[in-house]
Amino acid sequence: MNFESILTGVMNDASWGRSLGLFAPELILCVSIVALLLLRLVNADRWLPSYLIPLFASLTALGIAVYSFFQMHGAIEGIPTPGTTQTMFTGLLAYDSLTLFLRVFLLGFLALVVTLTMLSGIPDAEDGPDFYTLLLGSTIGMMLMSSANHLLILFLGIEMTSVPSYAMVGFLKGRRVSSEAAFKYVVYGAGAAGVMLYGISLLGGLTGTLEMPVLASRLSALLGPGGMNDPTSRTVALAAMMVLVGLAFKLSVFPFHFWCPDAFEGAAAEVGGYLSVASKGAAFALLVRFLLAFTGGTSVDLTSLNLALGVGLGVVAAATATFGNLAAYSQTNVKRLLAYSTIAHAGYMLMGVAAMVVLLNGPGGVDAAAKGEAATCIEGLLYYLAVYLFMNLGAFAIVAFIRNEIYSEEISDYAGLGRQVPLLGACMMICLFSLIGLPPFGGFVGKFMIFASLFQAGKIHMAMWVILVIGTLNTIFSLFYYLRVLKVMFLESRPEGARRARVSFMPSGAFVLLVTLPLLLLGASPLVNSMSDAATRVASMLVAAVR
Amino acid sequence: MFSPTAIPKFLAVAWLLPLLGFAVEIFAGRWQRDRKDRTAAGLAVACIATGFVCSALALFTWGIHTGWAALAPSAHGEGHHGESHSAAHDAGHDEHAKADDHGHDAEHAKAESNDEAHADHAITGPLTGTFYTLARFGSLQLSIDFYIDSLTLVMFTMVTFIATCIHLFATGYMSEELTDDYVDHQVHTRNGGHFHRPGRFYRFFAFLSLFCFSMLGLVIAGNIFMVFVFWELVGVCSYFLIGFYVERKSASTAANKAFIMNRVGDFGFLIGLMVLWTYFGTFSFGAYNPEATGYGIASGLKVEAPHEGEEAAPTVATGLFGMARGSDGQLRIDQDVDGVATVVMTQADDTDLLDAEGNHRMIPYVLLTIAGLGIFAGCIGKSAQFPLQTWLPDAMEGPTPVSALVHSATMVAAGVYLAARFYPMFTHEVLLTIAYIGCITAFVAATIAIVATDIKKVLAYSTISQLGYMMLGIGVGGWGAGLFHLITHAFFKSLMFLASGSVIYGCHHEQEMPKMGGLWRKMPITAFTMLAGVIAIAGLAIPGTPIAFSGFHSKDAIVANALAFTYANPSHFLLFVVPLVTAGITAFYMFRLWFYTFAGKPRDHHVYDHCHESPRVMTTPLIVLAVLAAGCAIGGEEGPLYKLITFSQPAGVDAMDPPPAVAQTTLPGHEAVHAVHSQAGMYALIAAFLGTGIAWLVYGKGVLDPADVKRQLSSLHTFLSEKWQFDTLYDVMFVRPVHVVSSWCTAFDRVVIDGFLHFLSRLTIKVAHVDRRFDEGVVDGFVNLMADSTYSVGRSFRVLQTGKLRQYVMFIAVSVVFLFVLVFAFFPRGSSTSAPEADVKVSSRVVPRPEVNRD
Repeated sequence: MNFESILTGVMNDASWGRSLGLFAPELILCVSIVALLLLRLVNADRWLPSYLIPLFASLTALGIAVYSFFQMHGAIEGIPTPGTTQTMFTGLLAYDSLTLFLRVFLLGFLALVVTLTMLSGIPDAEDGPDFYTLLLGSTIGMMLMSSANHLLILFLGIEMTSVPSYAMVGFLKGRRVSSEAAFKYVVYGAGAAGVMLYGISLLGGLTGTLEMPVLASRLSALLGPGGMNDPTSRTVALAAMMVLVGLAFKLSVFPFHFWCPDAFEGAAAEVGGYLSVASKGAAFALLVRFLLAFTGGTSVDLTSLNLALGVGLGVVAAATATFGNLAAYSQTNVKRLLAYSTIAHAGYMLMGVAAMVVLLNGPGGVDAAAKGEAATCIEGLLYYLAVYLFMNLGAFAIVAFIRNEIYSEEISDYAGLGRQVPLLGACMMICLFSLIGLPPFGGFVGKFMIFASLFQAGKIHMAMWVILVIGTLNTIFSLFYYLRVLKVMFLESRPEGARRARVSFMPSGAFVLLVTLPLLLLGASPLVNSMSDAATRVASMLVAAVR
Repeated sequence: MFSPTAIPKFLAVAWLLPLLGFAVEIFAGRWQRDRKDRTAAGLAVACIATGFVCSALALFTWGIHTGWAALAPSAHGEGHHGESHSAAHDAGHDEHAKADDHGHDAEHAKAESNDEAHADHAITGPLTGTFYTLARFGSLQLSIDFYIDSLTLVMFTMVTFIATCIHLFATGYMSEELTDDYVDHQVHTRNGGHFHRPGRFYRFFAFLSLFCFSMLGLVIAGNIFMVFVFWELVGVCSYFLIGFYVERKSASTAANKAFIMNRVGDFGFLIGLMVLWTYFGTFSFGAYNPEATGYGIASGLKVEAPHEGEEAAPTVATGLFGMARGSDGQLRIDQDVDGVATVVMTQADDTDLLDAEGNHRMIPYVLLTIAGLGIFAGCIGKSAQFPLQTWLPDAMEGPTPVSALVHSATMVAAGVYLAARFYPMFTHEVLLTIAYIGCITAFVAATIAIVATDIKKVLAYSTISQLGYMMLGIGVGGWGAGLFHLITHAFFKSLMFLASGSVIYGCHHEQEMPKMGGLWRKMPITAFTMLAGVIAIAGLAIPGTPIAFSGFHSKDAIVANALAFTYANPSHFLLFVVPLVTAGITAFYMFRLWFYTFAGKPRDHHVYDHCHESPRVMTTPLIVLAVLAAGCAIGGEEGPLYKLITFSQPAGVDAMDPPPAVAQTTLPGHEAVHAVHSQAGMYALIAAFLGTGIAWLVYGKGVLDPADVKRQLSSLHTFLSEKWQFDTLYDVMFVRPVHVVSSWCTAFDRVVIDGFLHFLSRLTIKVAHVDRRFDEGVVDGFVNLMADSTYSVGRSFRVLQTGKLRQYVMFIAVSVVFLFVLVFAFFPRGSSTSAPEADVKVSSRVVPRPEVNRD
């Protein structure tokens, strides 16, 4: 078949036009990337602030995503929504509620990050188009990740996300730390990608397909009894583990987290905030999709393999949370501390995913009860992600604004800032309290949901209760280092001769407030119910597709 | 002119203006330039004077819309209301003639009111309704209601008028307070000097305004609960005013005494309220609209078919009075299933009132009696009746205008007013109690007044005595007579208080009569206005002519009622004899006061020489009041005042009331009273002349030396001047026991409770010490241990994070291998080997093998 016939075939496919329509948000971002680059050619960036196009593009795409999200959930009259998963581009991409939820999540976050960079002045006018090209590019990659329905797209998405991220980490040209961080990130990412590719190839070789929806049924047919004594089972376990390694790299899960503190320390706070939230969201969506692809079918052998996988994930999650929290103790740099905190939070969220896998592979099989409880896990994960967006972005934004004032990101230099910039201090306090998981802030609700699902999972496998205890203990561990920052900010007095921080309310203070306020709303207001309702709908649609 | 609906509005304005005045005046200390500013007084006078105009307008409007039916049988003038009415009438004459088809005005009304016009008058009964509903709890509605009949209007006019006079008088009397450095000569500081303080002129008038507001609220009140609220407000205001010279111990004690004595009575009042609420389920006097939330007249106006577009008349519920008595004014006494006498409640149309289940609503006769006694207990406290009379003489510690306002015309009158207002709720037993209480009070107080030497104390006892008369009048069925005396007494007693105030002011705060004498030469206006008051209270008249001062008519009416009552119930003859004797005593001690003070030779030349007539601002009210004291009751029981009052007397008072099965007394009807009227009047007049004559002989002529008599009857004199030992008795009975009990309580508190508390606190400290050691050692130790260990673990993790890229890459490889080994080691080896429990269950399920490629 020559190229022309392929092209004709594609163009004549009726679903092609429909797929393009559903792909509109991503296309808008693509168009704006092209526009950014083209405008550069005619020197339009001299008179046009470079953040305008990405801001406009992200808001437009966000609008479309929100509209289609509500349309899918019946809040808006329109195309009747089929109960099952739809696909785009001949099954390469999934078009379901998770896709749309993550689109809203990622695009909303993109708009916030663009606003933040606009306010904090990184990047400068000259580098603006380059920076935003990278930012938009990696966002497209993340959206692909979150809607991947094919192992190839899984790999492509991760790479499309990673490559611009490498460049963004090293964007502070001339800073040695920054370049070094980027280099480490690249090499580490390459290693992880290699392992993952190997895993994908093993899976493809075994099952003869890379389409995720059919993986479960193929594997059910392939796996023989005998557990690890069965060679196929062994290979499948190895392959799944290797794919998971690639995802673990993106999630900075122990022991594939090494890049994370170095990269965050080297990168600008804005980039750190972006990477910590967005790539985590996308990677978790992908992880859920990948694990759900393994689930289902009626093979006892696959079920027991999955159960082990789930427990294993739980163990890794507990290790990650513990490691992240303990390692954060002795940090002196705020960004590094927040990097370890993101590792810890990845651990908490991974616990929810592990609980989901365990619940779906219990002795009762994939029945309605199991589906309901698994949906609760995903609901908790999505809620946690939504809260995490605000609390982490808030913390990084405050770090960025303070850096612009005192030119330092060392914790010791934060002494007495709580009194000098009370608004930022108070918002930092709310963000950190929420990160700890104290009521009445959103972090508490998210953490509570995940721990609740862990408790349910414990009824299937006792190990999950141990993990629950470790998770709870970790919450206590995390108190110490978060409060240390607050102690420095509020209880110590500003030393003589230290640079005075002046942060005006408009626009920086207002932005921080805008990002911090949802933590209260998602923690103690009727919005808690609205948000968890939305998450429940997404989760139950997703789980309903599992057979 | 004005529609009937304007009447409540007029009264509301008259009622609320003093409150507005109070709200402004109380802060006068802040907005005034200095303490010499008279603005507050001006404001207070303006408020109460405007209130008087409004009250008079309301009375006039009421008169027009009833066609002056109240004054119908006689064609005499309008008594003391004449001035204001004709003024108001002249102003509004033209409009009125055009507006009103009937063309009623003051003159025509009298001629027409008997005829066909009578049925067309807009006002058919007491105006009742709601100003504002405060709250509703289930069926209990707490609202600011009004109940307006001729009694309300007369009281309003009287109170506002007298209050205006007293306010005016006080602007002169209190002018000593117009200074930044007032020296109170009766308060001694520790270093032997006198007490200095800033003047409190504005505060005095603020309290006066608040007092007027409270009193008027009490009068207009349309439900017994609102009465209670304003009742207490009146008490509080009198507390403020009696204790105006708060630095004087006597004043503050007197204020406390007045307040506490009133509380004793109010306790009974509360019990009465509870009984009423339990059985009647409403507090409202008259018909009320249970749905009302705002201003509205529920009844009292002629009901007309609603015009097109208007809302239908509101559904009204029967109030307390309508429930207790039928329209003939009789209680419906029946027996309930247990044979206990009960009173059946009725509706407005005299049908029986049924509850939701269709049963007859009724109240045990005993409980109705208890409710009445409870309410009357409140009246006893407020009107200083036996046995709670002792506070009133002490209350003379307040400035004299206060005595005049609070303790002659208004506050103490409130008790009588309530007793009269609540008359329909009283059973025969209650009325008999009222009569006896009034009788005893009248006599006891009169005897004490004989020996009192303080000019204000004499007046105070005479007030108590006269209040006793009023109660007696009401108790023996002389509803109109009691109130008639209330009004006339208000005029002559406020006159005498103000005159005595003028004397005290002129004599530089000398109040002892033995130091006065012959003052009429120095202060003639005061002396002769006082004489008018004395003649009035003594009840003197020229027999056979209509020339008589007001007191004669009203006292005559009471005595006549008492005599008629005695004829009807011979066993209660004391109810006639005692008041008759008291009438003589009254005349005696009042003339004694006048002769002592104004006649004869000066006994203390120091006082006499420095004495002077009061300024015009003080004498003008005296003259006005003297005219009214002499003439307000003109015509007696055929005169306008009596007719105006009795127009709204409860049904059934007129006719002879045969004793119901459960009662032992018969109330004389109007006819019976009329029959004995001239006889009673003669007796009373003889008694009064006797008393006057003796007084003239002893104190005017000097035939008998009072000092001799005093020596002869020293034990009696002591007994009387010790006020019948009431204060001593109460001291022994209540005050000392309370002191003893309180000392026990103190001891218990100190020894037992404090001891226990100290023990507890010491224990707490001990526990705290132990706790601290535990906290520092164990808890802190644990926390620190945890923090230290986690910290050191965390530090050790830093070793992993070497920052060396080569190691990182190696870690990837090592980790993958490590994880795989782990998977290999822990992954279940199938059902044959020792698998975890969960896997056994999974394995045991029989699962059909799925087909490959089933999509």
